[in-house]
Amino acid sequence: MFGFSGAALSKIRAMQNGGKRARHSVDQWDRQMMDRDRRLTGFLRGQTDNVLAPAGFELSNAWKVERGFT
Amino acid sequence: MSARQPRFNQHLLIDTTPLPSSIPSVPEIGSSSAPLLSASYFIGARCKPYNDDFMQCKTDANGTGETDCLREGRKVTRCAASVLEDVNKSCLEEFRQHWSCLDDNNQQLWQCRRWERPLNKCVFEKLNIEKKIPGAPENEVQVHLRKRQIFAHSMTTQ
Repeated sequence: MFGFSGAALSKIRAMQNGGKRARHSVDQWDRQMMDRDRRLTGFLRGQTDNVLAPAGFELSNAWKVERGFT
Repeated sequence: MSARQPRFNQHLLIDTTPLPSSIPSVPEIGSSSAPLLSASYFIGARCKPYNDDFMQCKTDANGTGETDCLREGRKVTRCAASVLEDVNKSCLEEFRQHWSCLDDNNQQLWQCRRWERPLNKCVFEKLNIEKKIPGAPENEVQVHLRKRQIFAHSMTTQ
């Protein structure tokens, strides 16, 4: 019974992650790198081994804008 | 006002003004996280002087490193791009297998030693770059050369 639910959950996680196992213990470095992967490929878990970045990559890193607090 | 990481942002701002033309433009590296991790020790072995220069410049700049160390940063980018291009040309299959395994395993190097060994061998033969872990004690076998990886999940992939 636990085996079935475990298998179903891992299948759902794999579908959410593009056919790969889910990432765990993700720290700020990993979050930063996954955001860079999303800017490079369009998917959070997408990977590519091109040498040069696509055009416009150096400009696609967004500033996070906050409203000022008083 | 001291700058802190933004925590409550709801809006993103993309600034499309390009850099001034006085700064030579170097194309950015296009590899994502898994191939970069896989090639990281080779980049470290070949680009050690440039990387050390860049880190020294950032430490000495005391806050202004983002604008003062652009020259060293360009050298780092060019060197890393050259390593990635050479690895792509010579050892593409082993490289792809290794970083696909890393991608499936939470980017943990010790789960994928089975594919790392042929990659290291190929890179050593064709490009003459050897992977050495900096700071490892000299009298012990380095962890990537050990037969048994104690934290690996499965016996087949370690």
